[in-house]
Amino acid sequence: MSLPDNLAQMATRKSERLMNLAICLLMARRFLLKKEIRQVLEQYRLLDSEQAFEKMFERDKEELRQMGLPVETGSNDPWNQNEIGYRILRGDFELPPIDFDAAELAVLGVAAQVWDAATQADQTKLALAKLRAAGADPDPGRLAALTPSLDGKEAAFDAMWQAVIARIPVEFGYHEKTRQLQPWSITHRHGAWYVYGLDMEKQQGRVYKLSRVETDVKYIGKPGSYFPETPEKTNLLTLIQPAMADQEAILAIDGDEIPMLRRRGEVVETDSELPPGYTAYRIDYSSDVTFAAEICAHGAAVIVLEPESLRNAVITHLQKFLEVE
Amino acid sequence: MTSNAQVTRLLALVPYLQKVGVADLGETAAFFSVTKKQLLNDLNVLLFCGLPGGFFGDLFEIDQEALETGTIVFSNADFLARPMRFTPDEASSLIVALQAIAEIADTESSAAARSALHKLTATQNSSAQIAVHAQAGTSDLRTALLAAIREKRSVQLTYAAASHTGTTTPIVEPVRILTRDGFGYLQAWSSQRDSWRVYRLDRIFEVAITDEPTCDPGEPPPFDSGWLEQLTDAVEIELEVSAAVGWIGEYYPMRSSERTPDGWIFRMLVADPRWLNGLLLRLGDQVKRVSNPAALASAKQSARETLSAYQVR
Repeated sequence: MSLPDNLAQMATRKSERLMNLAICLLMARRFLLKKEIRQVLEQYRLLDSEQAFEKMFERDKEELRQMGLPVETGSNDPWNQNEIGYRILRGDFELPPIDFDAAELAVLGVAAQVWDAATQADQTKLALAKLRAAGADPDPGRLAALTPSLDGKEAAFDAMWQAVIARIPVEFGYHEKTRQLQPWSITHRHGAWYVYGLDMEKQQGRVYKLSRVETDVKYIGKPGSYFPETPEKTNLLTLIQPAMADQEAILAIDGDEIPMLRRRGEVVETDSELPPGYTAYRIDYSSDVTFAAEICAHGAAVIVLEPESLRNAVITHLQKFLEVE
Repeated sequence: MTSNAQVTRLLALVPYLQKVGVADLGETAAFFSVTKKQLLNDLNVLLFCGLPGGFFGDLFEIDQEALETGTIVFSNADFLARPMRFTPDEASSLIVALQAIAEIADTESSAAARSALHKLTATQNSSAQIAVHAQAGTSDLRTALLAAIREKRSVQLTYAAASHTGTTTPIVEPVRILTRDGFGYLQAWSSQRDSWRVYRLDRIFEVAITDEPTCDPGEPPPFDSGWLEQLTDAVEIELEVSAAVGWIGEYYPMRSSERTPDGWIFRMLVADPRWLNGLLLRLGDQVKRVSNPAALASAKQSARETLSAYQVR
């Protein structure tokens, strides 16, 4: 037998053993002792030594736990804690019943197609397969015209996604410094992923854009080693949204041009003299420099009337542009 | 393929096959996102699994003759009738996918996505804090577009194209709604122009459903981040900017980005000179070099005209 065949066969034998162990523990009405488990499972029974069995069983049990199976340890006799056994409680293991209506099954039917990122796409399909196994029948036909997609192209994405889910503290390079972070949440906005969490050195909430993470993401602690604060506090949207628009500009806009800008404000009366065909709008904004750059993009179709500071910012921005070689 | 991944799958496959009784090999493989060969391998493992004891009658039963014709007939798994709970990774991936749908669906389907998401969250002890957002116009607008797609009607859009300064009112046959890089888009057939068009949802101001039935334009071309490449009149521009405006490399699709000691060199496809004009004016003196001298000259001309409107110079 060639080596690859041999390896494949070993993997098959192992899957078979783990599967039978899982079923055996699930069927247990009480904690099963190791020696009982060895007796009923053929692969364990055929092992030469007690030692080989112990080693294999310990490893198998841990692997089941890693897969998420709730393997419990305990004793059937409260007076004798030496007789340690194992079981899986059905209620802890089984997916609770979920009823979906037709509209929900239609959106679940679209869900399988959403992720372009390979890991999350596979995980979504596994989750949907479990729903099918529980009797739900996602219907991909009804919303066929809806094709959302979501990617995680950033090199740091997979590692950070896992860290947020498993609550693992991380270390990474950002703006040429090493950061240590408890990642609390991860958000996709404007086509980019952001992580929000506790900067462990500064002991403050911080947002990092994943595309700017300069190194591999290193795990520096155990899974579940912290608890994120309440969702209200960890809502990073407030942190990555534009600053509060607390200033007011009056702009003259040519005819029906720049609809995206006009939509942000409202038509106002003004004493200033407007160029022919222009209408005055009041629009809220946050920073002179940023808004001036945005206004400049529209050329002479937008003229700032007020305030003076914004008007000057536009003039300075254009004059400096004319100096570009 | 690790044993862990296989066992995780088997724990879902058994209750699924038990539930349906008779299943198609190809369809089942697709549901579990494995090849048919891998699925056959899974079934081979299951032949030796079952109730402890391992006696004949304790094991799962798979009809081998039916399997040869591509049909799985599965039985004797009453004791494993329900799948395992979701792992945190599975739950998060599915829940986030539903969020992405809710962001661009019509009013009814958005509500359905959110209620499904809550039901899934309720099965978990804890849920990771993950959120996705898309700029995709209003749900009323999406409801109108999806209704038009369903009823196969043309629509008249009031649209603010990036390349025009005002709005246009194209009549198009809507086909599907999609997202790319955080924005929602409508893909539609234009019989006026005899071509496929893409409209950004947050730039659509109004949707009027017409009485005009669509002519069933067929399957639209795939819309990926390279769609700009399909525009025949696009030209490549090389733009060197200072580090302060490096964000444009994340904001606009670039063919290449190259770091310089104090900035960036971007290569990008530009389909509309007016768009480039606006970008240069916005970047101002952060622009260091433009490969196309005419583009820079034209933006400077706009700057002069604008300054004269402020009556300075």
